[in-house]
Amino acid sequence: MQNKIKQSAANKTLSAFAYVLLTIGSIICVLPFIVIVSGSFTDNATIITKGYSLLPKNFTTAAYQTIFRSPKDIIQAYKMNFYYTGIGTFLGLMMITLTGYVISRKEFKYRNTVSFLIYFTSIFGGGMIPWYLMYANVLNLKGHTLAIWFPALMSPFLVILMRTFIVGAVPDAITESAKIDGAGHFTIFFKIVLPVLKPGLATVGLFLALGYWNDWYRSSMFSTNSSTWQLQFYLYDLLNATTAMKQMASNVSMKTADLPTESVKLAMAVVATGPVLLFYPFVQRYFVSGITVGAVKG
Amino acid sequence: MNKKISIGGSLACIILALPIFNQIKVVNLVAFFSKIGVNKEMAKNLFTGYHLFNILSFVQNANQGALGIFAMVLFLLAVATLYFNIAFIIRVILKRNGNKGELGLIAAGKLGFFFELITSFATIAFTIFANKKFKITGFVPSVAVYIAIAVSLAGYVYFKVIEKKEREKYKEHGLLKEFKKNWPLFLMLIPTFIYFMINNYLPMFGVYFAFTSFNFRDGLWASPFIGFKNFEFLIKADLFRLTKNTILYNIAFIGIGNAFQILFAILVSRVTLKWFKKTSQTLMFMPYFVSFVILKVIVYNVFEYQYGLINNFVTQSGAEKIDFYNTPSYWPFLITFFYLWKNIGYGMVVYLATIMGIDNEIYEAAKVDGANDFQQIFYITLPHIKPTFIILLLYALGSIMKGQFELFYQLVGNNGVLFNATDIFDTYVYRITTTQPLSIGLGTAAGLYQSIFGFLIIVLVNFLVKRKNPEYALF
Repeated sequence: MQNKIKQSAANKTLSAFAYVLLTIGSIICVLPFIVIVSGSFTDNATIITKGYSLLPKNFTTAAYQTIFRSPKDIIQAYKMNFYYTGIGTFLGLMMITLTGYVISRKEFKYRNTVSFLIYFTSIFGGGMIPWYLMYANVLNLKGHTLAIWFPALMSPFLVILMRTFIVGAVPDAITESAKIDGAGHFTIFFKIVLPVLKPGLATVGLFLALGYWNDWYRSSMFSTNSSTWQLQFYLYDLLNATTAMKQMASNVSMKTADLPTESVKLAMAVVATGPVLLFYPFVQRYFVSGITVGAVKG
Repeated sequence: MNKKISIGGSLACIILALPIFNQIKVVNLVAFFSKIGVNKEMAKNLFTGYHLFNILSFVQNANQGALGIFAMVLFLLAVATLYFNIAFIIRVILKRNGNKGELGLIAAGKLGFFFELITSFATIAFTIFANKKFKITGFVPSVAVYIAIAVSLAGYVYFKVIEKKEREKYKEHGLLKEFKKNWPLFLMLIPTFIYFMINNYLPMFGVYFAFTSFNFRDGLWASPFIGFKNFEFLIKADLFRLTKNTILYNIAFIGIGNAFQILFAILVSRVTLKWFKKTSQTLMFMPYFVSFVILKVIVYNVFEYQYGLINNFVTQSGAEKIDFYNTPSYWPFLITFFYLWKNIGYGMVVYLATIMGIDNEIYEAAKVDGANDFQQIFYITLPHIKPTFIILLLYALGSIMKGQFELFYQLVGNNGVLFNATDIFDTYVYRITTTQPLSIGLGTAAGLYQSIFGFLIIVLVNFLVKRKNPEYALF
């Protein structure tokens, strides 16, 4: 009895501890988003005089109105982002799935060699500059949109993840019997493997899409024309440009009224992240399953 | 397989590739040197014959950068030839056969001869290439090259013949037959092959630029070869700082990150309210999904001097404002904090999956025996997540020389005041790539050092782990 009481006291402490810590953790994770959203709805003069705050002090949608009054640039950036994400995810998913299928075939003699050659790229590389020169100087792709979506089509992690999904979804017995019935590899792949691979396709596809949507640095390296910028780089450039111009303006006492204001920058950040956070609750489970499968099977 | 013949052939390959013979002879000395612009001062350092290990010194001393990358490939091929032949001889002597008779040994021997053959042909190609380039016959391959071709060809054919017999015995087959049998699989791999070639394997040859001093007049392919000067400069200037920063940050990320991820995963698993469990997990995983540019916006808004959230509170409480963006000492903490902010959710999911996989009966049995929740965590949960922890730790150690480039770049940007505390290899190289084209030799050298150092760490860690517990080995 004594023991039971002790046991339940310890359990209650732990349980309370868990609720408190998780609440704090969750708040820390969400707080920055609230600051951004609230800042985007705050009047710019208030930000300048009173600084950022957790709740909008003078609620206004002026920042969003400013953005959508001349939306040409942001719509172009959005369009490019959809283009890169679409083409990159589609082609990448196709290549990753095909590769995953090949290296999961037991009858393929070189499957371990191919797996290793893919894995090897994650432990050794030539470095950023040779990689950059390959695209910019050897292939001469500077300024071309190909240089922005091609380099992120595949990754060793996603290939191995896809292989694990395929091995789990398609038992050997099924492909064996299909082969005895005279099915070739393409038939097996399209008619047997792909239809049962939906969770794997969704997971790997979402990882790819998230990577493309959030990427900015290939624009910073390969873009020569702002009309091909990725959305995040457009935002990045906006942030930097305003900081630089503010400094210039204060030096030569220029009028700063025409610059994007603090609240406009925040509104832009909200617009750029919106889709991701909107979809996030619905697709979260695919990422969880991907991480779980990838972590457990290595 | 006849041991004496194969070891003898392999030894011959090694000797022919060693720097005791000059594989490349220089002829028409006077005409050749005057044609390529070698003056008397430079000629002092030049020889009348070169082997594959010092041909790069010709590139350097005669200032012929255009031959550099080809010369580097020759050098690497010669090293590979030595490596594979020595490995083969050691395997024969130690009788390491592998599981299918002598097939493994034969493949190793074939590889040695194959590389010697390729190296020899590449040497000939190099002389032809150089002569064409200079429009004068200055280089000729020496007799050693032709002997090497004869020896390695004979050895290769010999192994091919005995391999055929051996394969019939074990019902094995080679590349050609595999291709005939499974050609659709090869077809499916073509896009992947192209991708990894362009994105990963071909750029590896670009490490050559680490040994050059780029200038616009000679261009990328003909800039002078300067040996290890870039590395010397790096050691004097930035190398120590970059190595220290990169490794220390990663240790902080790995240590603190895993501790928090395990803590929160255990806490979530202990919570009984379903909606609370789900909500907290969803919220803590959310930062993983925003881009680093958004992270920049967040950090700027919180820590900015004039309007920042923190300085806002600070002024309200009457204290002095804090100038975060000009004080390096804050940034190691801020960067670590935001690394955690972004990655706790991800690691939590990994550990939570392991915890969910623990058999519930173990907990039930412990409860019956009177163990409280703390004891259950300590004696059941923690031991069960140890394997996951070790695997994650090994992966993290393997990439300890790689930085979280986007995190550092977006938080710090081009703010030079903070570089001492925040510069890592990746940000350093990125700055050079985008803003200082004249320093690409230096940047490549930094990248190469990072790659090789990181690679050696992985190989070492993997070796140690494999000896102790092969189950955890990375490869």
